[in-house]
Amino acid sequence: MLVGLDARPIHVEADIGRGEVAFMLVGLAATTVKEARERVRSAIRNSGLEFPTTRLTVNLAPAEMRKQGTALDLPMAVAIALARAGKAAPPHSAFLGELALDGSVRHVDGVLVAARGLSTLGYERVFVPAADAAEATLVDGLEVIPCASLIGVVNHLLGAEAIAPAPRGAFVCVAATDIEHDLTEVHGQEEAKRALEVAAAGGHHLLMSGPPGAGKTMLARCLPGILPPLELAEALEVAQVRSLLGDLPREGPLDWARPFRSPHHGVSMAGLIGGGSGLAQPGEISRAHHGVLFLDELAEFQTPVLQALRQPLESGRVNITRSGGSVTYPARFTLVAATNPCPCGWAGDGVRGCRCTPGAVDTYQRRLSGPLLDRIDLQVAVRRVQLELLASEARGESSATVRERVVAARRLQQERQGCLNAQLKPARLRQLAGLAPESRRALERWGAHRGITARGFHRAWRVARTSADLDGSAQIEEHHILEALGFRLQDVAA
Amino acid sequence: MSPPDLRTRGRWPPPEGPRAAIVGSRRPSPYGEAVAEQLGLELARAGVIVVSGLALGIDAAAHRGAVNGGGVTVAVMGTGVDVIYPAAHGVLAEAILAAGGALVSQFPDGTAPRRHNFPARNYTMAALADVVVVVEAAEGSGALITAEAALDLHKEVMAVPGSIFSPLSVGTHSLLRDGAGLVQNARDVLAALRLGGEVLDDPLATPKNLGFKLPGERDGILSHLSDVLALNAAEVARKLQLPIAEVLGRLTALELDGAVRRHQGGYVRALRRGKERA
Repeated sequence: MLVGLDARPIHVEADIGRGEVAFMLVGLAATTVKEARERVRSAIRNSGLEFPTTRLTVNLAPAEMRKQGTALDLPMAVAIALARAGKAAPPHSAFLGELALDGSVRHVDGVLVAARGLSTLGYERVFVPAADAAEATLVDGLEVIPCASLIGVVNHLLGAEAIAPAPRGAFVCVAATDIEHDLTEVHGQEEAKRALEVAAAGGHHLLMSGPPGAGKTMLARCLPGILPPLELAEALEVAQVRSLLGDLPREGPLDWARPFRSPHHGVSMAGLIGGGSGLAQPGEISRAHHGVLFLDELAEFQTPVLQALRQPLESGRVNITRSGGSVTYPARFTLVAATNPCPCGWAGDGVRGCRCTPGAVDTYQRRLSGPLLDRIDLQVAVRRVQLELLASEARGESSATVRERVVAARRLQQERQGCLNAQLKPARLRQLAGLAPESRRALERWGAHRGITARGFHRAWRVARTSADLDGSAQIEEHHILEALGFRLQDVAA
Repeated sequence: MSPPDLRTRGRWPPPEGPRAAIVGSRRPSPYGEAVAEQLGLELARAGVIVVSGLALGIDAAAHRGAVNGGGVTVAVMGTGVDVIYPAAHGVLAEAILAAGGALVSQFPDGTAPRRHNFPARNYTMAALADVVVVVEAAEGSGALITAEAALDLHKEVMAVPGSIFSPLSVGTHSLLRDGAGLVQNARDVLAALRLGGEVLDDPLATPKNLGFKLPGERDGILSHLSDVLALNAAEVARKLQLPIAEVLGRLTALELDGAVRRHQGGYVRALRRGKERA
């Protein structure tokens, strides 16, 4: 059984004793598991096997853990069948799958997560629904037996007719994934494109502010294309979350493209962060793990929902407690947020005037201020591009070119500090990101001049480190600091 | 017509002397704000009582200029005299009182800001002033109501021209076309108030007298920036054919020097150096 991304093994025992006809199920089974009695009974009968006609007891251990889900159907049926045949279960083997009344084995969610968990617990063989076999074969050193029907499994276990283990998928890392949205499709907007490049290179979060139609969404969608493809370990983590939600494609469960999630601004707390009754399900932020979480119309999101983003933004994971227990899901994503500068959206637009009262603009912008904004390293104003530029032939760099620089800068960071610049804490920043004397002066002068906060100070410092890495420069020069200081929103509307 | 009964705080009636109302947009460009502050300052120095509405933008800049010029300024409020609106102007209101000015209102104490009260306030402002100067007003701006009221009351209306590209010039330019007095500096207003002093016809001679200081041209970027219309870094980079990272850095350096300011998601030339207001 799965608790978040943890697998907990459950031992299923069946005993056929004397007595009147009964099917006892013990071991703290939830309703979904109690219902399994009917499925198991029918599946066994319809598979041409005999269902015990005396007192049958099935025990689920450990008894103090509440059992949920339909994956226990298969192990229960197998235990009963083996008990009737007087055979013991094969060693180091695990079973999971839901049964149909005709005895065929159906898909269950989270097979990849279960398989990884079982493998680390020392299991060597796992029986999974045939539909989910490809998922399970992603785990190294685990024999995967695809189960199409209950009778097939029983025959395999009784030595009548063996099922061939599922072949391991050939998962060669594809060098270049298709780029869905290329930077060459975005005309102008060099400032925002540069911000995207810096965000990609250093893992920084990004906020774009601008009127409707300025191209904020288009720019955000370009970010996955300039990020390096997922590494194997990362791809597995992404696949695990999708597996839990039953969202893995049957063929080729591993996807090397970075996730891009863009929840609507009406999203609930549970939808964004994770939640649900019993045990929490992963939310959008976990689905965006190792990828991009795009929040369009940031000011329209409910304030508590935005506030809840703070912990994951800081730690890269989210801890959710529900009645069924507490689970932790990974949530290390790059946040790209977009907002209009004011309620009507047109403040700051050269052509169309804004019709909002100054008070309304103020209230709108205040919704965005504070702790969340403090965690967004890069902020950039996006303006509408003049029409003649849209029609012009001049094209900027392609995503592939930018990605090469991003990959090189990321490698520098991994070699130096083992993480991306955005994750550097102030102490390590001081130690690892040396400032040239004139850079320090520029930063201090800015601080004295503008009364910048300590957080803002370190924010600029981190971004400058990334800018220097993109240049391949060991030291942070003055122009890196100055560029970093330029990436902040101030005076958005006025 | 005499103004309605007024509730007042501070010195009322104010000392004898000519009164000029300075009104305009609540969301001016840096240019308009600089003009209003400069006019407020110079008129106050010349002994003119500066009347305005304590609103954001042009009003606040005019009051601030007058206070800085050591003069008397009167805030005509659209709320009760005990309700400072916007609340952020509490400090400014105190400064006005401390400088010997006054807060006045035709509304009873405790009146909260109500949209329909402000046109009446604008009328009162015109009634209390001898001349109304409009600095930046978009189409339909409340400042135009004050100008209309001034015409009804047979007072002089003047306007400061702006950029033809700016929506904030629509109101002022239509006033000028309809015969409003042209304001290029404080002397123009003083002349309208019959306070003598010759009117300078040569606008190029005015910056020195007005004290505007244009930033030095030591950086190529500056010559591509306007003081009214914002350009963003991408637009500057395109004009100068420079890499975006370099332009971003140089713009920040200029900002640090006080030579440019952020405005409307882009950059404009700052009209004066010195300390930034909060």
